Amino acid sequence: MNIKILGSGCAKCKRLEQLTREVAIEHGINAQFEHVYDIAKIMEYPVLSTPALVIDEEVKVAGRMPSKDEIEHWLAKP
Amino acid sequence: MELFYAALQSGFASLASYLAAHVLLCLVPAFFVAGALSALVPQQSIVRFLGPDAPRWIAYPAAAGAGSLLAVCSCTVQPLFAGIYSKGAGLGPAITFLFFAPAANILALSYTGVALGADFAIARLVLSLSFGIGIGMIMALLFRGDDATRLANAAPFVSGEGISRQSVIFLLTLIALLVAGTLKIDLLTAQLTTFDFALPAALPAQQLLDRLLPVDAIKGNEGLSLQGVILIFLLMLIGVTALRGLGKVDEGFNWLTKLSLSLIVTTLIFAALGIQTTADGVMIAVTGRSIAVAALLVLLILLARRFEAWDLQQWLWETWHFVCLIFPLLIVGVFLVGIIRLFIHPEWIQAIAGTNTITGNLAGVIFGVFMYFPTLVEVPIAKMFLSLGMHPGPLIAYLMADPELSLQSILITSVIIGKLKTWTYVGFVALFSTISGLAYGAWVDGTPVAVLALLIATFVGLVIATLYFVDKRRSSITG
Repeated sequence: MNIKILGSGCAKCKRLEQLTREVAIEHGINAQFEHVYDIAKIMEYPVLSTPALVIDEEVKVAGRMPSKDEIEHWLAKP
Repeated sequence: MELFYAALQSGFASLASYLAAHVLLCLVPAFFVAGALSALVPQQSIVRFLGPDAPRWIAYPAAAGAGSLLAVCSCTVQPLFAGIYSKGAGLGPAITFLFFAPAANILALSYTGVALGADFAIARLVLSLSFGIGIGMIMALLFRGDDATRLANAAPFVSGEGISRQSVIFLLTLIALLVAGTLKIDLLTAQLTTFDFALPAALPAQQLLDRLLPVDAIKGNEGLSLQGVILIFLLMLIGVTALRGLGKVDEGFNWLTKLSLSLIVTTLIFAALGIQTTADGVMIAVTGRSIAVAALLVLLILLARRFEAWDLQQWLWETWHFVCLIFPLLIVGVFLVGIIRLFIHPEWIQAIAGTNTITGNLAGVIFGVFMYFPTLVEVPIAKMFLSLGMHPGPLIAYLMADPELSLQSILITSVIIGKLKTWTYVGFVALFSTISGLAYGAWVDGTPVAVLALLIATFVGLVIATLYFVDKRRSSITG
């Protein structure tokens, strides 16, 4: 599984990465993490605002912090 | 050595009166509003009005709305600006957003209102709104050709959910608290009832404070009251408990969360009471403001209970994060302003910008462009200038130019939209800031609003008409 966090280094973005990593570890999911800081690369995805969570190149959420339950749901059903 | 002590004393005086007078009823609620906007309002709920197909009369106001509601810190401004420009409504609304965000977000406006007066806050809002939209439209017209090819490549973006009614009500109550705590109207300042307490130590303590931090109306030193000392102490207590109580709230509520929240509620109510030292004790006055603040706090607690725990945790965490990001810089800024103030002679300021002239306004703009201050620090600096005798016109010119044209924003903008567009934008901001200052200054000096509005409308109309005409000529020549 490939997980990308799109963010410009804001606090929310870091928090999102931390939270997603926690969920992945708790459920024993083997995933590659990548934090995308480059604005030009972020804009290649159909998002207008950060933080955004991209799982296997699919945008799951953008512009807000998802709850832990939501992340668990996305990671469980790839 | 004497100068050193005088400078230090001036710095502390500025910091003490700032903490006691401005922080509590203005900045504390404003930080909570900013946190709520960031945590409870999904960005998509406003951004969806900024899609590529959005009609112009929706896109421009929505861009301004996004600026004031979503973009409290610059880390949100950059991605949203890039997003609106390259994926959404295009160059014009993106520029409106960029212009409006730093000057008219909720923190900047409420702090301006408390430190400089409501008319400065309103002037800042109205002028940023009209000129933000104006500059956006001019830029869109100037670079219309580029925009068309760029938008052809744009992909649609994921649309999202709206904002819940519960969040709207909660936000409005928070804003009501901010207004009730700061607005200076008779209904709020009227004394309803007073209580006298015998406290013999009160008078000597107040006299000691007056000696340490003398009140000096000419220099703008506000002094420090006994109530102020207690408030500063409570504020420190809140800071200590919030460090873990709010800083770690995303891992769950702990006992320090409850303690720091109850401390904040108590402190806000205490700050809304009027306390004066009398000959043999203190007099506590209950005003309309005290009642309003207490009632709104109770309402907020009731409303907050209906939210899911996760939303509340997000709200408190975002709030605390804004405090950590902005507050330390503000404290250092206010302290330094207090020191610098000692070395600036009022005559200099009065000679350069004491009257509402074009040179005076230009001086305000140039100072704003070349000096970079962190978020909100422009407000205490403006306050210093005002007390040194700067005319309100050039002051507004400075307040318009400083947050818009920091080095940082110029760099961000040029990475995203290119150098030519950026410098055009910078030129327009400098021009319009000068005009803002002149207009506001003229209004303060007694020119009727209608005349000014007519003059500004004529000027903006002329600029747009010229650009339109030039554009027509150019397109008819090329093809």
